[in-house]
Amino acid sequence: MTTVGKRVLGLAAALVMGLAACSSGGGGGGQEQAGQSLRMWTFKKSHADALNKAAAQFKAKTGISVTVEAVTPDDVFVSKVQSAAQTNGLPDVLEVHASGEDFEMGSSGLLQDLAADVTGDWKQRLLPSTQESGVLTQRKIDSVAADSPIKNGKAGQRFSVPFTAGAFGIVYANKDKLRAAGLDPDTPPKSWEEFLKALEATTGKNQGGLSLGLKISQTGFNWIYQPLAFAYLGKERFHALFGKGTTQGFGSPDGVKTLETYAKLTPYWMPGATTLGIDEADIAFAQGKSAFNVGGTFTLAFLVQNGMTPDKLLAFPIPPSAEGTHKQISMAPLALTGLSVTATTQNREAAIKWIDWVTSPEGAGMVAKESLDLPATDLGTQAEALLGKDLAALQKYFTGPPESAYEAGDDSFFPSDWDQVKPGDLTVRLTPLKEYGPQQAGTELDKVMASMWKSTK
Amino acid sequence: MSTTSVELPARRLREQPPRRAVAARWRRRLVGWAFVAPAVALFLLMGAYTIASGFLLSFAKWNGFTPSWRWVGLGNYADLLYADPSLAADLRRAVGNTAQIMVAVPLLTVAVSLPLAVMLNSITRLRAVLRSVYFLPYVTSGIAVYYAWRYVLAPDGAINLLLGSLGLGSLRQPQGFLGNPDTALPTLIVILVWSSVPVATLLYLSGLQAIDRGIVEAAHIDGAGSWHVMRRIIWPLLRPMTVAIALLGVRDALHGFQIFLIMTNGGPGGHTDVLGLMAYRLAFMKGLAPSLGHASALGWLLFAGAVLLTLANARLLRRVQ
Repeated sequence: MTTVGKRVLGLAAALVMGLAACSSGGGGGGQEQAGQSLRMWTFKKSHADALNKAAAQFKAKTGISVTVEAVTPDDVFVSKVQSAAQTNGLPDVLEVHASGEDFEMGSSGLLQDLAADVTGDWKQRLLPSTQESGVLTQRKIDSVAADSPIKNGKAGQRFSVPFTAGAFGIVYANKDKLRAAGLDPDTPPKSWEEFLKALEATTGKNQGGLSLGLKISQTGFNWIYQPLAFAYLGKERFHALFGKGTTQGFGSPDGVKTLETYAKLTPYWMPGATTLGIDEADIAFAQGKSAFNVGGTFTLAFLVQNGMTPDKLLAFPIPPSAEGTHKQISMAPLALTGLSVTATTQNREAAIKWIDWVTSPEGAGMVAKESLDLPATDLGTQAEALLGKDLAALQKYFTGPPESAYEAGDDSFFPSDWDQVKPGDLTVRLTPLKEYGPQQAGTELDKVMASMWKSTK
Repeated sequence: MSTTSVELPARRLREQPPRRAVAARWRRRLVGWAFVAPAVALFLLMGAYTIASGFLLSFAKWNGFTPSWRWVGLGNYADLLYADPSLAADLRRAVGNTAQIMVAVPLLTVAVSLPLAVMLNSITRLRAVLRSVYFLPYVTSGIAVYYAWRYVLAPDGAINLLLGSLGLGSLRQPQGFLGNPDTALPTLIVILVWSSVPVATLLYLSGLQAIDRGIVEAAHIDGAGSWHVMRRIIWPLLRPMTVAIALLGVRDALHGFQIFLIMTNGGPGGHTDVLGLMAYRLAFMKGLAPSLGHASALGWLLFAGAVLLTLANARLLRRVQ
């Protein structure tokens, strides 16, 4: 064979081998193996650990192996999904924020529609208030801004299955500190005024005040002010605060009164609260630098990770003011995260099987117990046995009369260009910074709301 | 015909050397191109493509997920400058804070680094050690240092403790230096100066060592005191260096956002929000809202500002020289 001939033959052989390698990677023989192996990303470390443990059980039952990777924090998770979407490198399953992120990713073509898979039986095992979470509605499509990707979605599409549920506005108190301040460590304050007295007692006895990650300024507005104002004014008047061209806004007597009530926290914030992120505030509480800490049901897991034991904690929702409309408040549980199947997966059936199992009472109970995060699956009478008594105890704040149930997930009365950082910054200026009085803060909030309504196209 | 048959070999002989030369030239060219091709490809991919793509994005709405962009023309620029009251208000506040930093950081950097450089230049013993010590903030600069500064500046941090133990309790900040709106921005300016002084000192030191010692000695012989030598001789000779240092400070102030993101996230209450942080927030902290176009437009506005400053600097340098 001539030199040229040898070269041609060599080139042909290399091409054949290359093509063979490509085809085995893309399907064929690899298909069968890939069907037994799933990749999943989550933005919560505690979920990844718990899911990986549950995955071992799942593999024993089905032979399908699942590898769960945590990508934290949330913004890094979103960036990674963005770049993976561009490079066709998405995993099979994603855990996403429910009723927002799932819609945006799904409507952008990254997630599969699961409406035909999540049937009546599957839905029935979820908490009633979360069953429709992940399903895109016409109301949602109509309410978002004109440039939102959600406009590309169709009503009825399901982009996620509810996985964890919970509520914001949960206060955690350190029982040791309550005891040291002469307070009953087992009885939560019944009203906002009693809560302020408890804060006065702990601060006065050098046991610390209230910690909250106000570096993320919207936490004060979302987690404390909103439930407080909702209970004070009732649903209709609370919604009116945010209305387009409203005369009943934050600068009205209603709004000013609620801001005044909220600003009574000023003497009791932990020093430097405005410089702390959410996790840092939780850690400060776990280290004993504050007596009270505000978060959500999901905060319990983080506190335990940082050395607190659940038996040293007293948990209760933001107490309503005795002067307000509702004297009691319950926190309607909302789906916090959901599980989604990516559009590019080659393993749809296996992915659905995994989501089905991990949202069953058995799988969800196992993950919840490991992660200390409440599942969206209704565990019924098995709740305490599956979750443990501390986690199950949080669920009691989910039930109450419908009129006094605060729904943190209800965004139907916000402008579609809603940016929670702006009211967050203004309420930080009210308390703890004291740059604004309640009236001025109300006027400024009305201006911000007006500009957001104006920006809503 | 016969003529042709005789002439052809001769012509071939004449033409062969140029053909070889052409081939050799092409080979050389190809080898050259092969060497530079990786760099050119990398530039086209990482430089030209991203710059062009970023520029086009500033005329579109996109959230990073949707397959297509929605073209809005100059809409993103208009939103930032005036059309969107919410964004325009944020931009105005960020411009105000950035402007304060752009003025304060270069001025303070020059005010601290020049005396340091003169001092280092005048001593012979321990010069190398001190130079290393002053350069440490630059070597250790970065995210870890900003976190360390946060602990130092916290309500129960080292600075409050030091002030208390020195009997200066009235200067303590109960909310921490970053938690008080009056001290947050000045504190960040001080940290920015702290991290830019090492390079400025080194630049001044090299400038000082380049000055002919004979000029300074002649001035001393003529009776000029140290202050006059500094004011009339050294300062004018170091002016180009000063302009360069000021420009570096302005550039850092215009583009920097890490320190603001890590130490205050623009807080408390938006008092330390700057343009770089605003661009970062629009790009990465807006969830999945289609705000990448706004972020890109703000980036190009910053670029335009930087170009204007560079032109002003070049003009100033020409005048100085």
